[in-house]
Amino acid sequence: MKKAFKELGHYLDVTIQVIKMAFLTIVEYPANIAGWMISNPIQFIVGFATIKFVVESFGEINGWNYGQLAFLYGLSVMSHALSMIFFVQGWFMGYFVLEGDFDRYLTRPMSVLYQFFFTNINIFGITDLIPGILVFVYGCIKCAVQVTPFFVLQVLVMLIGATLIRGGIYIFLGSTSFYTKSTTDFGMYTQEIMDKTTLYPISMYPESLQFILTYLIPIGWVSFYPVSSLLGIENSVLNGMVVPFVTLLVGLLVITLSGLFFKAGLKKYESAGN
Amino acid sequence: MKKYLYIIKTQIIKRLTYAFDVYGNILVQTIIMITSAFFWKALYKDGGTAGGVDVDSMLVYIIMSSVLSVLLITNVEKRIEQSVQKGTVATDMMKPVSLFGIYFAEDIGTIIALILQNILPILLIGSLLIKVPKMADLRDLPIFVLSVLLSFFINWFLAALFGMMAFSAVNIDALIQVKKHLIRLVSGSIIPLWFFPDPIANVLKFLPFPYIYQLPLSIYIGRGTRAEIFTGMEIQLAWAVVLFLVFLFAQKQITRKVMVQGG
Repeated sequence: MKKAFKELGHYLDVTIQVIKMAFLTIVEYPANIAGWMISNPIQFIVGFATIKFVVESFGEINGWNYGQLAFLYGLSVMSHALSMIFFVQGWFMGYFVLEGDFDRYLTRPMSVLYQFFFTNINIFGITDLIPGILVFVYGCIKCAVQVTPFFVLQVLVMLIGATLIRGGIYIFLGSTSFYTKSTTDFGMYTQEIMDKTTLYPISMYPESLQFILTYLIPIGWVSFYPVSSLLGIENSVLNGMVVPFVTLLVGLLVITLSGLFFKAGLKKYESAGN
Repeated sequence: MKKYLYIIKTQIIKRLTYAFDVYGNILVQTIIMITSAFFWKALYKDGGTAGGVDVDSMLVYIIMSSVLSVLLITNVEKRIEQSVQKGTVATDMMKPVSLFGIYFAEDIGTIIALILQNILPILLIGSLLIKVPKMADLRDLPIFVLSVLLSFFINWFLAALFGMMAFSAVNIDALIQVKKHLIRLVSGSIIPLWFFPDPIANVLKFLPFPYIYQLPLSIYIGRGTRAEIFTGMEIQLAWAVVLFLVFLFAQKQITRKVMVQGG
């Protein structure tokens, strides 16, 4: 038990150091981050403006009014940003596999997956977090949300869960490179699909697609179900205060399964003569 | 002319070898098309029209917008940026072809390759999964083609002018993204401008952007009167000419600048 705590402490130490280093890169390349600071928010503001104009012309979309959509959109962008900070490396795992870059991590006494993600923290993801928070706060005001401690807890829990689901999906897709031995960059497609299924209510899609998004590729839990629960919008799968916690459970499940898939892939990598 | 035709030919061959890029774009366009089809269907759930257009026309609009987006792929910004970063721009300028002529020919070559590789599959997927994008009135076909041509030029000159910023800013990746997202919004490629609040739509009418997507697509789905369409095409033509002149001027300035730097 004591040993486990010591190891956990070690991981925490390393994490803090790594985050410090990540912030230093901002100081190092100020012009670079300034560019993304403008371009990333614009992407989401444009996306949000699209929804605003259209939904205001029609009134609502599948029972969601414009304030509720802002709430959904904001939370979804926030978990997207968090997954960009911690898990975006999964998109590029193929390059690491082909270049043999995992050798470096294998020689060190820490989990390979941990090293892979945490020594490459992408602090630029913060540029996505800001528009997310802005739209979310705007949505809270439009929906006249009562901010209670329990509400804050629910939001935090669902954000962690949603980030883990996204991260798990990136790890899973990245780990396929161990088997295909190719560097297919899934980023663009994952992003496009994730955007279309988390920024809008998935109830607008046909039931077969909703089924897939709920049980097979659990993207529905990233934003649609927890946000429905937070706003009290009925859906046909699961309602009630417990949903944000279910998101966390789904997140833990997805990331564990992806981690196991990664580990199995890594065995293959080791056996390939490394 | 022969030199440029040769560049176009090489570019077509080059594009035909990068198969994965091609499937990637088809996949992305398919996702965009199908998800927006459901989006509009959900909005039009009660039937009727909005902005003078019914759900069927709107579905045709998004399929054709995907098709048009392939024709409007430009690589000129990226090319300028790379040649400035690597410094090859100076040697490129010494070649017996015009620098921007090369870029233009390359983009044309890319598009010709993409007509087969992307546009036909997108049309097929759209017809099978969403609906057959029939033109509202086939007699409008000539003006539709003309309008697409003009929108291609507007788009290309804007991209080239934008890419010229690389001569002073060197790294314009983030700016390219900003431009892409803004143009997507204000050109009517995702949502037509008739859903915008009136003040914004009225300002945008005088800018070149709606004439990139919205005008040709409106002609295709038969929205607007003859008079409205012809007025739109006059503005479109005017913008194409203006941007061409600005482009010529800027090109001269840039050439002079590089020549001075390169000795």
